[in-house]
Amino acid sequence: MKTVVIASGKGGTGKTTLAAAFAHLAVADQREVVVADCDVEAANLPIALGASGVTCVAFGGASEAVIDPSICTVCGACANVCRFGAIGPSVSGNSVVYRVDPWACEGCGACTLVCPTDAATMRPKQAGEACSGSTKIGPIVYGNLRPGEDLSGKLVTEVRERAKDLAEETDDTLLIIDGPPGIGCPVIAAITNTDHLVGVTEPTASGLHDLDRLVRLARKLDVPVSAVLNKADLSAGGAERLRTYCQSQDIPLLGEVPFDAELASLLGGMAEGRGFPLRGEGDDSPGIAAVRNIWEQAQAVIGG
Amino acid sequence: MSDPNKTFTVAVASGKGGTGKTLVAANLAVALARGGRDVVLVDCDVEAPNDHLFFQVEAQPRAVMVPLAQVDEDECTACGACRDACAYGAIRILGGRTLVFPELCHGCGACTLACPISAMGETSRRVGEVSSGRAVGVADFGELTLVSGSLDVGDVKAPDVIRAARSAAGTHEIAVLDAPPGVSCAAVASVNDADLLLLVTEPTPFGLHDLELAVRLGQELGVPSAVILNRAGSGTVDIEAWCAGEGVPVLARIPFMREIAECYADARLVADEVAECAQAIEAVADFVTRGGAVA
Repeated sequence: MKTVVIASGKGGTGKTTLAAAFAHLAVADQREVVVADCDVEAANLPIALGASGVTCVAFGGASEAVIDPSICTVCGACANVCRFGAIGPSVSGNSVVYRVDPWACEGCGACTLVCPTDAATMRPKQAGEACSGSTKIGPIVYGNLRPGEDLSGKLVTEVRERAKDLAEETDDTLLIIDGPPGIGCPVIAAITNTDHLVGVTEPTASGLHDLDRLVRLARKLDVPVSAVLNKADLSAGGAERLRTYCQSQDIPLLGEVPFDAELASLLGGMAEGRGFPLRGEGDDSPGIAAVRNIWEQAQAVIGG
Repeated sequence: MSDPNKTFTVAVASGKGGTGKTLVAANLAVALARGGRDVVLVDCDVEAPNDHLFFQVEAQPRAVMVPLAQVDEDECTACGACRDACAYGAIRILGGRTLVFPELCHGCGACTLACPISAMGETSRRVGEVSSGRAVGVADFGELTLVSGSLDVGDVKAPDVIRAARSAAGTHEIAVLDAPPGVSCAAVASVNDADLLLLVTEPTPFGLHDLELAVRLGQELGVPSAVILNRAGSGTVDIEAWCAGEGVPVLARIPFMREIAECYADARLVADEVAECAQAIEAVADFVTRGGAVA
């Protein structure tokens, strides 16, 4: 099995569009495909591929502190040791109680170590859910993080494990990961130990800046990188800076996709069950033709 | 904006990435500053910070440090009490030695509290940096300060860098926070305690799906939301109907125009060059200066 991850640093550069197109094109090339949406904060690939028959299981693991007011002596020891500013006094009726702010609590349990009456205890909480379903191109796995949770990296790892379990262990199987934006915890979890990272960028000052940060991260993690320049004709100067950057960093530029409204509407079409138009099927806008060529280039660098 | 001693904080956010948060935040901050307000723009998208690309800022970056557990190897008996107390699996006992894994340590101090012989102490480590300075450039930006947080490549402590950036911003009349995409702990660190959430979205199924997540997050945090519809006219989804049903005001529409995308690509202020964008930003600035009240 080969694993390719589509990432970008900057959000909204076209990761999901490319991931969905790659999935369709790989299936057309007779490959077994499993897709995983590792943007567990805003999973869009299930929409783009029209996922159905979805089942989800709770994803837990973390815990949060809670203070029992009936045995709390209001000594304040818990608030003193909390590094996250999550515990403080608040007025309830005509008495003062200590309360935990669940948004700020990181579940470390320091408060339970110092509470003299064991009023502070930990309780498990649900961090989100891991979901699997089917699509026209094969199985899909994704996650839904509960708002505000800090376990996005662990949920990404869970999604990847489940996707791997679904993938047939043949050389031909391709696991396509739609990565999260940024370069933080969930991105590290999404790209570690993958075979190849395709960085989708755009010819904006932001696109270049954020691609560079992503490339530096991928190199730290020893993942080979190539790049796709989306909306390439938006800025001639910006596109030239991206090309120069890729050349100077020895990053294969798999291709350039022009700003193309038809490609955007195709993404909506795939959500409704249409496929990605194959060569010779007509319907060939410049963006669609470019993505198809990029898939061919990508196969060469991904292998399998 | 009733309390003159308190900063009125506006967080520009979205569930989905690439909807135009930075475009709105940078142009809004300039519009407010040119309107005579004392404004600080805080880039809380510390994984992909881009606001500094739009301004020249003379700023000295300062390191963001977080506490890190440190074993006194001479004293440690490898009893494992610290390991048992660590909720993050950051401490292991291997070969009779206590090892701390820095990338897993939250710096909470529980291990120090649990150690029976005070052999567990703390050092600190760098996770990112924060730059702060007055924004200057070819154009006049008014009284505008830019604070920019940047997570070190390979690190995971985005919320710590975000909190450091917000704290470095100090007190101003208005703070405009450019938040990261998503709804995780990093998004919460960016928008928690804000007075107003400005959610930038686009009229696609993805824009709507992720907007809904962001609106729910705002509701849970008790921060009122308002929406800015970007790339209006480009998609098929009726964001405004959804917002009307939810009682979330739509403040402005930025049309889908190639000219806007081209201008943004070169890190220029779109509101200075495209009239349709200037009008939209002006409408948002009015809303903010009224303290988030619908006219």
